[in-house]
Amino acid sequence: MIVNFLTYLRERPGLLKWSLMAYLAFAVGFDFFAERHHAHFWGDEIIGFFAVFGVVGCLGMIVFCKGLSHVWLERDKDHYDK
Amino acid sequence: MTSSIFMHPATIFIIGALLLPLAKLLRIQKVWLVLIPLIAFMQIHYLPESFGRVEWLGFDLQFGRVDQLTTVFLHVFTLMALIGTIFGLHIKDSGQHIAAWLYVAGSLGTTLAGDYLTVFIFWELMAVASVFLVWYRKTRKSIDAGYRYILVHTFGGLILLGGIFLHYQNGGDLTFVSFAPDSATLAQYIIMVGFMLNAAVPPIHAWLPDAYPEATVTGAVFMCAFTTKTAVYVLARGFSGFQALAILGAIMTLYGVFYAVIENDARRILAYHIVSQVGYMVCAVGIGTEMAINGACAHAYAHILYKALLFMGVGSVLEMTGRSKLSELGGLYKYMPISMIFTVIGGIAISGFPLTSGFISKSMIISAAGADNQTFIMTMLLLAAVGTFLSVGIKLPYYIWFGPNDSGLKPKEAHWNMQVAMFMAAFMCIFLGVYPDYLYNMLPYAVNYHPYTSFHLSETFQLLGFTGLGFYLMVKYLKPHDVSNLDLDWFYRRGAGWFMWFARKPVNATNEWISNVYKTIGLRLTMALARALSWFDWEGIDWALDGSARGVVEGGEQVRQFQTGKLQHYIGAAVVLIFIVLIVVVLL
Repeated sequence: MIVNFLTYLRERPGLLKWSLMAYLAFAVGFDFFAERHHAHFWGDEIIGFFAVFGVVGCLGMIVFCKGLSHVWLERDKDHYDK
Repeated sequence: MTSSIFMHPATIFIIGALLLPLAKLLRIQKVWLVLIPLIAFMQIHYLPESFGRVEWLGFDLQFGRVDQLTTVFLHVFTLMALIGTIFGLHIKDSGQHIAAWLYVAGSLGTTLAGDYLTVFIFWELMAVASVFLVWYRKTRKSIDAGYRYILVHTFGGLILLGGIFLHYQNGGDLTFVSFAPDSATLAQYIIMVGFMLNAAVPPIHAWLPDAYPEATVTGAVFMCAFTTKTAVYVLARGFSGFQALAILGAIMTLYGVFYAVIENDARRILAYHIVSQVGYMVCAVGIGTEMAINGACAHAYAHILYKALLFMGVGSVLEMTGRSKLSELGGLYKYMPISMIFTVIGGIAISGFPLTSGFISKSMIISAAGADNQTFIMTMLLLAAVGTFLSVGIKLPYYIWFGPNDSGLKPKEAHWNMQVAMFMAAFMCIFLGVYPDYLYNMLPYAVNYHPYTSFHLSETFQLLGFTGLGFYLMVKYLKPHDVSNLDLDWFYRRGAGWFMWFARKPVNATNEWISNVYKTIGLRLTMALARALSWFDWEGIDWALDGSARGVVEGGEQVRQFQTGKLQHYIGAAVVLIFIVLIVVVLL
């Protein structure tokens, strides 16, 4: 059953994309109504701060890590056997 | 609640392990395998506060000390031993189970130890038993990795022992109590470094992602739970409030996820991610407030279960397909859907989705950092949470079960006992998320923290959702490649190579050269010198001593010539001699 459902979703990337967008809109919208009396730092006061933090952090991390791997860390699998 | 009939939990596992071959002989191995961890799990609530005090060579050893801090760890360790053993129930080879149980015994013994010597004894038991979980994979790579693992841990154990001796020499008491950060001595810092090695704190972490991916499928499930979390326990016991740990812990959280983002082997991704998760706990121990210590314990509890669940899920795939590299997997959701569901539950729990255990434990540490005004550290922890969802929450399941290309593999679903074990762990992940008080009531301090606030939910919704967006945008760029990435094990792996080269080439060559020089010059010179000395002895020294030696030789020769061997000559000589004596006596 779940297999059929997942296959159904895999064949419809557009549906997945719009579900993700709808969820993101919900997440930012929800932030307007969150109570903020336990703010630890300035970012906690800004609506949508963690949305920006999430996407910038994620993209930055991918670029940084993959880049570092390509230019420096990447070696053959038997690197130490040579 | 205490009882007069109890047994040290480590003893239960040791006896259980030693009698396992007998159980196999009686064909009750499977029953025995479930029974022993179950007994241990049931009876940890009946342990007295202090037991097993022994005086040995003038040292007071204490094998049992139970308080709020030990209880939560004992609970999750014994539970995990049960789940892990069920996961490996199909393995007929008793040796693997024995190694796993002795390893668990080491961990429980360390947790209950009341003094540093007892800590050390069980610490070493853990290292020695766990290396067999790597070696039992029986591949060339695992044997090599096992040797590196045991060498690094022997080194760490010696650091710990050195610290303990130095502490004792300074007049320190060997009771295992908390040290004050302000008045910490060198000896105490050395002990801390010994503990940190097992917690995989960079730069002494590389043994973990080196060895765990080479362990057996079941071995890795055990290993991911015990070594690092026992180290978190001993750090929380001895070194809470050391700011160095807070900083190192925050670095760990990012270091681990950075590698998890780029690695290709599924179990190596999870191993690097242990470094990241243990970073949260080490950081919390460093912050050292009541809330932070609670957070460290809660996170250790939750982490053991979901990380083991992930290792079980990925291990099932490895068991059924023989592959663990993301670049060789994909499209398995049709064939192993049950393993997929459980692994995804582990993935969302580790990412801290609401209604899972990660949501109620990780946030406690982040809030503790915030409440302690350590904003920078808190930001690092939040960034690591983004990386966690990216690498283990999305990347790992995506490339194994879905992925851009189908691997063409059509494996069977995992064995029934594997599914049962995964179900148990998955159940606990959700149960703790839905009913956090079950865990909170076990923590060392009273909990004044509510995870389900609208702000925390909103923060989580955004962080996870927009990390998902980042993955969606960069999925092509994130494709894993079949390469290995350098890490700090480079120093000892290359260093050992250089040492061997140095021993083989320059040292050996010098040795050869010196012996050649000796043969051609030294030996002749010695012989010539000996001849010269012999001549000098003969001609020089003897001449100086009036030729006495030559005289003796010549005299001896002449005496020998007298001895003709004829009886009448001897009798005649004797008579002549007597006459001479008589004449001398009479005349004088």
